[in-house]
Amino acid sequence: MTSDIRVPEDLWEGDTEGVITAWLVDDGATVAQGDLIAEMMVEKAQYEIEAPVSGRLVIAKEEDEVVAKGAVIATVET
Amino acid sequence: MTTTSKSTSRKLTIARAMAEAMAQEMRLDPRVFVMGEDVGPLGGVFGNTRGLFEEFGAERVRDTPISETAFIGAAVGAASDGMRPIVELMFVDFFGVCMDAIYNLMAKNTYFSGGKVKVPLVLMTSTGGGYSDAGQHSQCLYGTFAHLPGMKVVAPSNAYDAKGLMTAAIRDDNPVVFMYHKSLQGMGWLGTEKGATVPVPEESYTVEIGKAAVVREGHDVTLASLAAGVHHCLRAAKILEEGGFSAEVVDLRSLVPLDRETLRESVAKTGRLIVVDEDYHSYGVSGEIIASVAEYSGCRLKAAPQRVAYPDIPIPFAPTMEQWALPNADKVVAAFHEMMKENRGENS
Repeated sequence: MTSDIRVPEDLWEGDTEGVITAWLVDDGATVAQGDLIAEMMVEKAQYEIEAPVSGRLVIAKEEDEVVAKGAVIATVET
Repeated sequence: MTTTSKSTSRKLTIARAMAEAMAQEMRLDPRVFVMGEDVGPLGGVFGNTRGLFEEFGAERVRDTPISETAFIGAAVGAASDGMRPIVELMFVDFFGVCMDAIYNLMAKNTYFSGGKVKVPLVLMTSTGGGYSDAGQHSQCLYGTFAHLPGMKVVAPSNAYDAKGLMTAAIRDDNPVVFMYHKSLQGMGWLGTEKGATVPVPEESYTVEIGKAAVVREGHDVTLASLAAGVHHCLRAAKILEEGGFSAEVVDLRSLVPLDRETLRESVAKTGRLIVVDEDYHSYGVSGEIIASVAEYSGCRLKAAPQRVAYPDIPIPFAPTMEQWALPNADKVVAAFHEMMKENRGENS
């Protein structure tokens, strides 16, 4: 089964777009639920993205890409 | 602030690697504490103290008033009296107001006391530009600190080295200036350098202060640099490879002590040297590296050494002007081709 990793709607206030500043795991790596996997930035503030489920991570949005809330940035194959 | 992870490839940004090293040493040694502007609840404007305030509290992670003179002076006193402070000078450009505490007290107290007083202080400070923060927030000043005796100076290019060098710095009984380049912090608005975010072991380890690393092997030219410059060199080496040339890249990692042996061995092999430095061109790191190689009779140079450094001007604010002045991979490649032209001239 494949689960989407989306930018949580409540990660920051307002509808400003954010940018992925760092992936902290490689594409194709195995991640565990709750692991810190990426960092995002909105107006100089950093936000963390955690793995919602365990499995194999497939990155969909690279570093420096601008993304809106709700956007799929990766998938996890469980 | 150890980021526990079961991922198969946990990577950290330099900012997180620094915080993890500090947290691990603070757990081991109650004498270690952190002090500086916005290092507390904010976690550092460059993200390198995130999580420390939450774990260790306001007693050991101390936000200071905006007086570098006062809090760096206080840190020197604390270090001389048995504590092991990590103190942050937010931008290295601000050194002017606190230089007496740094180079007359921190760097000299051990010598003046005949070795009776140790000053185990880590002064961490941000360097570098590229994001239009102008002439008082963008300098590197590596040469300024490395020139003055009595303190070690390190500048990592990636998160693995950052964690190991920070741990080594905290455990060192001498003052260590830990210079971290803003564009490598993984903070987005300061620039993004993917190569700086690398796998980092969760357990504690040290990287020896004073050892350079050959991060890419080659035989036609040695590209020597530090911090962000290492990534320019690695990109230049890739471009040169496409043209059939093989470049070796030396990451200095530490300016004091300087690993002249690794540099000399590399140039003895390649016969050519280009130094890449975001600090000012004249009277700085690039001149010292070239002199260190030229003084050594084992290096038979095939061409005059070159440097790709910052022009001797205050750093401009206008993005086009700043980008014009900064070192980059294309400038390194151009310097290499100039060098090869010179060779052909001699042979004909």
